[in-house]
Amino acid sequence: MKNKSRNRIISLTVIMGITSIFVVMINGCKVPESIANKSGAQLWGENCIRCHNSPDPKTYSDDQWDAAAEHMRQKAILTDVEITKIKAFLKLAN
Amino acid sequence: MKTKTGTIRRIILLAGLCAGYISSAYAQQDSSTVAPAEIPNKAQGGGTKFLLAGKAQASWSQIATQLQGAPNTSSHTFFPDAFMLMPLVKVNNRLFLDAQVEVDVNPMGGGAAINLNEMIVYYRSTPWLSVFGGNFSPKYGLYMGVMDDFTNRYCTDPIGMNRGPQTQTGIGIQGGIQAGYSKFNYQLYLSNGPQLVVDSSTHGNANATGSLNYGNYTDNNNNKAIGGSIGFLPLSNSNLQLDVSGQVAGKTGSLNSPYENISSYSLAADINYYHLFNPVMVRVQAEYNYTKTHQFNYPWFSDSTKSTLLVPGFNNQLSGWYAGITVRPSGIDNEIIRNLELGARVGTYTPPGYIGATSNTPAPWGENAEQQTTVCLTYWFTWKTPLNIAYDQLKMTNGPTITTYTARLIYFF
Repeated sequence: MKNKSRNRIISLTVIMGITSIFVVMINGCKVPESIANKSGAQLWGENCIRCHNSPDPKTYSDDQWDAAAEHMRQKAILTDVEITKIKAFLKLAN
Repeated sequence: MKTKTGTIRRIILLAGLCAGYISSAYAQQDSSTVAPAEIPNKAQGGGTKFLLAGKAQASWSQIATQLQGAPNTSSHTFFPDAFMLMPLVKVNNRLFLDAQVEVDVNPMGGGAAINLNEMIVYYRSTPWLSVFGGNFSPKYGLYMGVMDDFTNRYCTDPIGMNRGPQTQTGIGIQGGIQAGYSKFNYQLYLSNGPQLVVDSSTHGNANATGSLNYGNYTDNNNNKAIGGSIGFLPLSNSNLQLDVSGQVAGKTGSLNSPYENISSYSLAADINYYHLFNPVMVRVQAEYNYTKTHQFNYPWFSDSTKSTLLVPGFNNQLSGWYAGITVRPSGIDNEIIRNLELGARVGTYTPPGYIGATSNTPAPWGENAEQQTTVCLTYWFTWKTPLNIAYDQLKMTNGPTITTYTARLIYFF
């Protein structure tokens, strides 16, 4: 009985979470202008520093930043817009 | 019951995959959501981009042990902690290969072991969905896989944080989604899952029966674990992240063994927050995790005569938490001062305990409840090269108090 209840709670939580994501993805596609207009520099300053310090653009070459950015896209599960802008900023500032 | 559980898990995974594909197909496309075109690389030729990152790490530690009724002991040593290589290969705009190989030294007697920490293939099918497969570190809590490297501003590992889902072999999906001013990220996966340790030869506190092992690359039964995480960043500047994550394994014992159907589940919640109170950057991090494995009365043999000794039933559940704060005067003009960061952290670990016994009874494999206090001063030579100097005190219920002073240098290249 306890296992049944526990499994139900876990399953319900997961289903609710997935449903929330589904709803958000459908209804949250319109991004406010202030968010959409964020520069790569701003996104670099806001996101990278959440776990480590903001990376120095001179650390890697452009090709290396391509590979490093993909690693960070997956490790930090950043949005596509964020990582694309951050990578472009790092290359320009390199 | 077993059928229902398996059916529920299949439905959940299918629902998750459908949600990802359907929403990506019907997502609005307007100029505000379209990512800017990538700037062409200055380098000519070659579609594959490669980076060999990694680290070298060494430390010095002084360890003092105090135990009531026994003489105090103290020792100090230099130690070559680890050497790690991380080859990253971006094959094209959708396909990415990520691996991590670490050389871990043996603390006693010399020698080293080469461990494959991760080997993952990612395929980005849509801007919101990447499919991955291989040997990966699931998103579970904040510390493991994220804050356990040069990102650890407290030097020592927080107790109770390396006991949940660790690197496993499987497949999954993940992605990040902008939702108005907030963001979500998600991960959902199927993996071989944990393997129950059953030791029928060791007698006494060294017997780890009932604990979970995540180190094997192949599965020990035909059941797969399902796990996932949801991250929520409510603020428009992304300085606050809240995560919940978990994993359910319907079977952890070896195929056709009496222990095959012993199940286990793990849950974690964490918070990661930073704010610049000019000129001081403040970070707050905290995590709680819990793992419960189905209760079972395990027999083991005490000696070569195979006389059976029943292990008293114990609640096979464990939990741990930690909370830490760091301050760094990153807005100060002085280069030396702005590269200093001071951190303080507390945490506890509660191991399994015998049913009906007092809270002071240790787990069958000899672990005690622990409380940890850590203070650490870090100097950042570069954004990824820290020198940590830490004081760490570990108090064990009905056990010793271990005080450690550590100086650790990580060179991440």
